[in-house]
Amino acid sequence: MSRKDEPFFVGYLPLPAGLKGFTLFISLAVFVLFFGAGLLIGATQDAPEDTGFRFDFGRQTVTGVVELTPYPILRVTEGNDRIAPGKTMMLTAAGKSGVDMRAMGLEGQLAQISGIVLERGTIDMMQLRGGRNGISPVEGNAPAMEIEPLGRWKLAGEICDGKCLYGAMRPGRGLAHKACANLCITGDVPPVFVSTQPVEGQEFMLITGPEATRMPQEAYDFVGQFVTLEGDIERRGDLLVLQIDPATIALVDE
Amino acid sequence: MSVKYIPVQWNRSKWVYDALMLIAVTLFLYVFLFVSPEVLSHEAPINPQVHNARAFGACAFLMLTVILCIGPLARIDRRFLPLLYNRRHFGVMTAFVAITHAGYILNWYFAFSNSDKYEALLFANTSYGQLAGFPFEAFGIFALICLLILAATSHDFWMKFLTPPVWKRIHASIYLAYVAVVAHVSLGILQDQQNHVFTVIFIGGALTVAGLHAYAAWQEDRRGDELGADQDGWIDICDASEIEEGLAKIKILPNGERVAVFRHEGKLNAISNACAHQNGPLGEGRIIDCLVTCPWHGFQYDVRNGRSPAPFTEKIPTYNLRIENGHVQVHRDANPPGTPVEPVEVPA
Repeated sequence: MSRKDEPFFVGYLPLPAGLKGFTLFISLAVFVLFFGAGLLIGATQDAPEDTGFRFDFGRQTVTGVVELTPYPILRVTEGNDRIAPGKTMMLTAAGKSGVDMRAMGLEGQLAQISGIVLERGTIDMMQLRGGRNGISPVEGNAPAMEIEPLGRWKLAGEICDGKCLYGAMRPGRGLAHKACANLCITGDVPPVFVSTQPVEGQEFMLITGPEATRMPQEAYDFVGQFVTLEGDIERRGDLLVLQIDPATIALVDE
Repeated sequence: MSVKYIPVQWNRSKWVYDALMLIAVTLFLYVFLFVSPEVLSHEAPINPQVHNARAFGACAFLMLTVILCIGPLARIDRRFLPLLYNRRHFGVMTAFVAITHAGYILNWYFAFSNSDKYEALLFANTSYGQLAGFPFEAFGIFALICLLILAATSHDFWMKFLTPPVWKRIHASIYLAYVAVVAHVSLGILQDQQNHVFTVIFIGGALTVAGLHAYAAWQEDRRGDELGADQDGWIDICDASEIEEGLAKIKILPNGERVAVFRHEGKLNAISNACAHQNGPLGEGRIIDCLVTCPWHGFQYDVRNGRSPAPFTEKIPTYNLRIENGHVQVHRDANPPGTPVEPVEVPA
């Protein structure tokens, strides 16, 4: 076809007859492309873990002994219908904040906590209500709580923030979530290690630094990634606490 | 074409173009947001904020991919030129979709902490020294800033103010933005995917953009404009009979500029091939109502003096032209924009 015979499009003039069919075809192709891509991408997203806030349980109130690992936990001594004595609850505040300041003066004492439970399998965390409504001292002598050392372990898995992992966000782990996890952990939300192999029946364990310090700075670069590391594990009630050795953290080529 | 700046110089083509693109984007978002959760039927659904962020993010990527395919497609086949005509509106739409994606991310992953969310975006992950776990958000921020700058300067006022060459260089940063988006997605969501359908679509999209550009460049190299032979300052164009009525022949001058020689009513005139609007290829246009009409956006010029018809004020350079032994020759030095040149009659 000579160039002179080709239809010539000018935006402010009517569409040439020779281009109408092609333009209609392209318009339909664009619709099909956007519809198809939306359906394919949207309908093939991975299922997040079956975790989350248990608002359906309502507000839970239990009493126990506060321990600072340094991340605060509560060893439940007086439970309720849903939370049995002997349970260990990790504690957090609303948003990306921990409850360190509120729990600091209560170490080793009896305290009552109140809030909403986050549940992942057998592991629970409680998001406390604000101020003294969330955690307050209780009269009475705190019973001695056993801490069972389980020795040094080498583990493979992922460092996450406990709250998102337990379902505050779905999905709440992985590299796309790394910045959010870092933000939670710097805000004193307890960090958690997800092990590929269970230790004493547990896949999840609270992370601390060596000698019961906070998660070390070096570990932040490895949050959300598949790593191996070594550390001492101790059992506090039904919760395992892993004191990681930062020098042993290494990326694993998946 | 416009003698004064108004927000949008609407015409029927623009209305239809924008409506079609809006329908396409709405289709994508509707299917992603409202149909796919039913198909997925996850036991524990993805958080709505994350779902929304993914929908708008994926949509912005698709829009950007389509936008970047339009240029090479129009170079390969002129029938795609109607898609080029109002591409700027599609680009602005993309910036809005991208900023919605960023808003959902910012107000979810970087909110609810004691820190300002904008500060948190910058400090929450600083693992810049490693590939896995690299703060991929940085690439997203860069791409978004590019898109916003391009959207903000998309109006013809900015093109005139910045001059077309500067404006075009700024707007070429769309390619940097696309590369940044590819890095953003590759180091982010793709690292966590178990189902790889999106990965395939994503790689397919990026390869299509790269492949179409490479093919268009190869085709232009093979069939593109030729360098005219220089004879004492006069550049040989072609035999006069080769130029069809109402059309042009394009040649490259020794200084790299392109000249378009048009035939109108049996007479020849030479003008710059670059439209004053966006450097569109005037020689690929044609003469309508006695005026050379640019194939990109329809800007028009009188072929005899390179001036747009009154009241418009655009001007392009003209060239002196002669016919030697039936051969059209153009002087290599351009006349100042808007200089009248007497048309040269094509010998019988």
